[in-house]
Amino acid sequence: MSGIVCAIRGGASSQPTITQAVHTAQETKLPVYFLYVLNLDFMKRGSHSRTQTISEEMQELGEFILLAAQSQAEQQGVKAEGVIREGHVVGDEIISLCRELKADYVVLGRPKETAEQNVFTHEQLDQFGRHIEQETGAKVIYPAGDE
Amino acid sequence: MNGLIRNPLSGIGYRVSGVGNQITAYRLLLPAFLLLLIWPWAAMDEAQAQETAVAVSPLLTGLIRDTQEQPVFDAHITAFSGKDILAEAVSQEDGRYTLLLVAGDPIPDEISIHVERHHFQAAEYAVNSSAIENLRQSNLLHLPIITLERRITPGFWIATLVFVGMLILIALGKLHNTLAALLGTTLIFAVSYLGPPLYEGLYIFHFEDALRYIDWNVIFLIMGMMIVIAVVERTGVFQWAAYMAYRLSGGRAWLLVIILMIVTGIASAFLDNVTTMLLMTPVTIRIALSLGINPLALLMPEVMASNVVGISTLVGTPTNILIGSYGGIGFNDFLSNLTPGVVLALIGLIVYNLYTYRHDLQAHQSGGGVSDVLLQRLAQKGRITEPDHLIKAGVVGAGMILLFVLGEKVHLLPAVTAVMGATTLLVWIKPDIEEMIEAVDWTTLVFFMTLFISVGAIQEVGLISYIASGIGKLVGDNLTLAMLAVIWLSAILSTVIANIPFTAAMLPVIGFLSVNIPGADSKVLFYCLSIGSAMGGNGSLIGASANMVTAGIAERAGSPITYMYFLKKGFPALIITVGLATIWLFIRF
Repeated sequence: MSGIVCAIRGGASSQPTITQAVHTAQETKLPVYFLYVLNLDFMKRGSHSRTQTISEEMQELGEFILLAAQSQAEQQGVKAEGVIREGHVVGDEIISLCRELKADYVVLGRPKETAEQNVFTHEQLDQFGRHIEQETGAKVIYPAGDE
Repeated sequence: MNGLIRNPLSGIGYRVSGVGNQITAYRLLLPAFLLLLIWPWAAMDEAQAQETAVAVSPLLTGLIRDTQEQPVFDAHITAFSGKDILAEAVSQEDGRYTLLLVAGDPIPDEISIHVERHHFQAAEYAVNSSAIENLRQSNLLHLPIITLERRITPGFWIATLVFVGMLILIALGKLHNTLAALLGTTLIFAVSYLGPPLYEGLYIFHFEDALRYIDWNVIFLIMGMMIVIAVVERTGVFQWAAYMAYRLSGGRAWLLVIILMIVTGIASAFLDNVTTMLLMTPVTIRIALSLGINPLALLMPEVMASNVVGISTLVGTPTNILIGSYGGIGFNDFLSNLTPGVVLALIGLIVYNLYTYRHDLQAHQSGGGVSDVLLQRLAQKGRITEPDHLIKAGVVGAGMILLFVLGEKVHLLPAVTAVMGATTLLVWIKPDIEEMIEAVDWTTLVFFMTLFISVGAIQEVGLISYIASGIGKLVGDNLTLAMLAVIWLSAILSTVIANIPFTAAMLPVIGFLSVNIPGADSKVLFYCLSIGSAMGGNGSLIGASANMVTAGIAERAGSPITYMYFLKKGFPALIITVGLATIWLFIRF
C-alpha cells in the first residue's frame, strides 16, 4: 500500500494543504489519505461526564471534515479516503499512519492564528518534516506559499 | 381502673372509666385511641411545663449586630458580676442570644456583658441599675443591641489572598476550576487549624462553621438538572433542532443565524450554557461547512445568544441558581422580571450580528459554496436518535417547569423539584444507573461546594463587609446609581473573572445593599447582578465557560476563535445587550 498522507482540520487554513495533496495525487496517481486527529484535550478543564457525548459529536464532525476534503479531491479525479485517529499529538498520529500505509508522501500544512500546542511553528514544521522523512521514508511536501 | 388524664388544651382533667367484665373491645380501644390522640399534646404540655420552670430563672436577651446592621452569629456572650461569671451564651443565626441566670440566686447590683467573636473587636456593655431593678422584678431584661466592630487579623489577609489567588488560577487556566477552589479551601483549613497554636490571629474558621456556608439548595438543583440534561443530550434533539433550523431557513444564511440564535437561546434558558454549546457547536460547524460559509458567522451569534438568553430562567445558568437561592428569587420572578429584558437584548444582539457578519453571510448568498454531498450527510444525522427517551424527558421537563412555576405557592424549593424530576425520569426510562450517575458532573458539584467555603472564608473575616460598605458609601441612598454600578461593574469584571465565583462573592454584598438602599428591597440589584455577570461573559473569550468550549471545538474544525477576535466581536455585543437590559430594568423597577 502506498499513497499520500494529508492531515487536516477543516476550515480555510486547511485549504492550501488539501489543494497541494490533490495536485501531488494528480501528478503521482497515488491515492490521498486525509487524516483528522480527534483530540478532546479542550474538555480537560470541563466535565468528564460529557466526554462520551462530545466524543461522538467530534467524531461526526471529523468525518464531516474528511468527507468535504474527499469530495473536493474526487471532483478533481483523485481517489481519496478519510482516516480518523484519536490522539493528543497530531505528529505522532501522522507518523503512525505513514508507517501503516507505507506512505510515499506527506503533505504538511500549518494552520494560522492558533495558539494550540499540537500544531507547529515554521521551525518546528521543518524539523518535524525531517523527522518524518527519517522515521518513515516518506517525502514531505509543504503547500505552496506556506513555507 | 379509673384514671385522670389531663387535657393539654384546657388543663382540666376528665375521667376515663370502665374496667370490668362487661367491657367490650370497643371500650378498650377507645381509651387507647384517645391516648394516641392526646399523647403529642401531652408531650407538648410537658415541654411547656419545662419552659415555665425555666422562666423562673432571670433571663437577659439581646441581639448582636455588625456595623452594617447584619446579625452576628456564633458570638460568645458572657454576663459578669465583677469577675464572677453569671451566665454564658452563643448568638444564633439571627444574632439573638439569651443569658440564663441561676434560678434563686440573688441578682447582683452590677452586671456587665462581654461579647467576643473571631474577626471582631470585643465589646463590653454595663447594665445600668434601673435595668437591673427591672430584672429583679420581672425576671426578664431585654438588653440594647450590641454592635461589634470588625477587626483585621492576619487571617483576613490570608483568606483574601487565597481567594484572589484562586480567581487568578481559574482565570489563567493554570489549574482546573475545581482544583483551584479545593486548593483554596484546603489552605484556609490548614491555616485555621495549624495557625492558631502559633498565633491566634491566624484563625479563619472551623470546618463546622464552613459547612454552613454551603448552599445545598444550589448543589441539589444543579445535580437534578444534570441528570435530566444527561438524558436529553443523548436523544439527538440538538442535532435535529439545528438541522431543522437549516431547513426552516431555506438556505438563507441571515435567517439561519436568527433561527439558530433563538434555538440556542431557548435551549440555554432551560439547560446550562456549556452543555448547550457543546452540543450545538459541532452540528453548527457541519451546517456552515455544508453551506460553504464561515463557521464563526454562525458560532459567535450562537454563543452570545446562549450567554444572554440563559438568564431568563432560574435554571438557565449557574449564576441564576446562585442568585435565586441566596436572594429568594423564584422561577416566576426571573420570568417576569428578566425575560422581557432578555428578549430586548436578544433582538439587539441579532441586529448586531447580522450587521457584523453581513459580508460572510452575503458571500454565501452568492451561492457556490453549497455542497450537496455534505447536505445529504447532514440530513442523515439530523434526526432524533432516541425518540422514546425524548418524549419521556419532555413530559418530565414540562412537569418540572410546572412545578417550578406553581411550586412557589407551597414553598416547594427548586432543588426538590429538580431532584423529583430527575428521579422520575430515571425510574421511567430505567437507564444504566451507573452511566447516569457518571453523567452527573461531580467535579462541578465539588467546585461549588469548595467555592462556597472559599467565599464563606472571606465573608467570615470581613472582606465582603468592607466591599459592601465601600460600595454602600459610593452609591449612598441612590438606587439608580447602585443599579448602574452593580450591572456595569459586574459586566466588565465578568470579562476577566470567572462569573460563578464572582457572583458567589457578590451575593452578600448585594444582600447588604438591598437592605440598606431605599427601594432596593424589590431585589432589583440581584437582577442587575444576574444580567451583568451573564451578559458580561460576551465581553471576552474567558468571560464564560460556554465561550471556551465553543472556541475549543471550533479550533478543532480549523476555525480558531482567538482572544482578540472574541474581544473585537464580543465587547460591542456586551455594550449593546447590557445597555438594553439596563433600560428594561429601569422601565420595570
